[in-house]
Amino acid sequence: MKAIILAGFMGLSYSSWAVDVVVHPSNTVALDKSQIEQIFLGKLKTFTGSDKAVPVSQSETSTASEEFYSKVIGRNPTQLKAYWSKLLFTGKGQPPKKLASDEEVLKTVAADPSIIGYVSSGSADGSVRVVASF
Amino acid sequence: MNCNNAVKWVIGGVMVTSSFTSYAEIVFNGFASLRATAADSDGGAPPFPTLHGDGDVSFSDESLFALQARADLSEGLSATVQMIAEGQDDFEVEARWAYVSYEINPQHTVSMGRFANPSFYQSEYQNVGYTHNFGRLPKAVYAGFDFTTIEGISLDSNFVFGEYALSTKLLYGSWRGTTYLAATQQDESFGFKDEISVRLELTKGWWTVYGGFFIVEIEGGSVDTNAILGNAQQAIALAQSQGASAAQVKAFEDAVTWDGKNGLYGYTGFHIDYDRVILDFEYADYGVEDSSDGFNQVWYTAFGYRVFDDTIVTLHHEKFLQDNKDLDFLNGVDQPTLKATGIAIRNSLALREFDGIGLSVRYDFHPNAALKFQYVAGEDTRPSVGDYSIWSAGVDLIF
Repeated sequence: MKAIILAGFMGLSYSSWAVDVVVHPSNTVALDKSQIEQIFLGKLKTFTGSDKAVPVSQSETSTASEEFYSKVIGRNPTQLKAYWSKLLFTGKGQPPKKLASDEEVLKTVAADPSIIGYVSSGSADGSVRVVASF
Repeated sequence: MNCNNAVKWVIGGVMVTSSFTSYAEIVFNGFASLRATAADSDGGAPPFPTLHGDGDVSFSDESLFALQARADLSEGLSATVQMIAEGQDDFEVEARWAYVSYEINPQHTVSMGRFANPSFYQSEYQNVGYTHNFGRLPKAVYAGFDFTTIEGISLDSNFVFGEYALSTKLLYGSWRGTTYLAATQQDESFGFKDEISVRLELTKGWWTVYGGFFIVEIEGGSVDTNAILGNAQQAIALAQSQGASAAQVKAFEDAVTWDGKNGLYGYTGFHIDYDRVILDFEYADYGVEDSSDGFNQVWYTAFGYRVFDDTIVTLHHEKFLQDNKDLDFLNGVDQPTLKATGIAIRNSLALREFDGIGLSVRYDFHPNAALKFQYVAGEDTRPSVGDYSIWSAGVDLIF
């Protein structure tokens, strides 16, 4: 019995740590981890070479951001800020717009086929398509 | 391009667009460095022209503030102005960069105006202290040239091949300003005409390799008239008294001066940021072809370790060498006094070589700010400097 309860807690914890990458339902693109990383670092700027890809992020202290940047980007918030400062102050790029919550990400993604975002696992609804989970 | 007009044009553009909020969204960002620095040398002279060499603490030598305004005019068009106030210039505000960019498509952006000259790998953001882990970027490579800005047109491009990302920059432009010459102990004017610059940066995950070069036609300015020919007048008179012909004197002057000759600048290196280890190496080679300017070979190597997520310790070694052995530029000079003078000018311009070993500690005490300490010690071949050391402590921030 104790083992079952423990497993349940572990499953709950694991679930709360996961993050889903979401796009507009009409966007049928398939993306691997490397491509998602490149989009969120401003290196890959299109989906499948034609349609513009515009990433949006969340507050760096949000659980979704911590998971996403740890598991997908592999950099901490300071490293990311230093990275984006190089691009920002040389006119080569703008960091992804920060949205306030999972709900705001879902609303923004659902309204624009060019947007790609991430939300805590389990937050995504029918208004978006989950393109990858980590 | 007239740089003053270009700057006014872009500043005016940003200000006008800020009045029509339906057309433009203005985004302000900035960076700053507040640093206390103390430099000392056995000879008493400062090891680098931007520092004092008396051992006293200065709060202005390496402090700066910068504010960037970017007006997004939609449809891929934007105007950017970066104002900077440096302590070494008594915090006088200068429009360091002012340019208009147009995103042709997601892969290619063309910019026109005044912007960074990518002389070396980090030249474009060398003033943004927050972006690197040093207290001060190694001076052997990042010597503080005045031609870190340029007026012209550039094309930035991005390409992705599977897991590899390649970014490139092509640039055409010109520059007029000054450069510090150890030979005269002061800034001397000169210029760049028809600069053509290319840079490449290839990245995959945790590693980056890069390289770049630029070619310019040099406008000699007071480097020629003061530092080179001005100091050679007595020798020329002596040579003439020994029977040197006008043609021999002209051959000498043509050999030693910089005007109309090619300036060549190249660099290459790598950056690794893997788990807790950070490795950097950059090598650069530059000079004025077929002139009294010996080519410089400069490099630095750095090993950084992320002790904690918010603390990085970096040890680096840097070296600045000048080639005074290649005397081919004097092949057309056969009069002994003039030839000896040419060699003396080369040696004088190549007088300065130095090395240094430094230890930097970066502590990110705030999401937007890093506290840094650095100690660098080294040796400069100029008798007026000799052994030197530099302490610095300060904060780099972005906003």
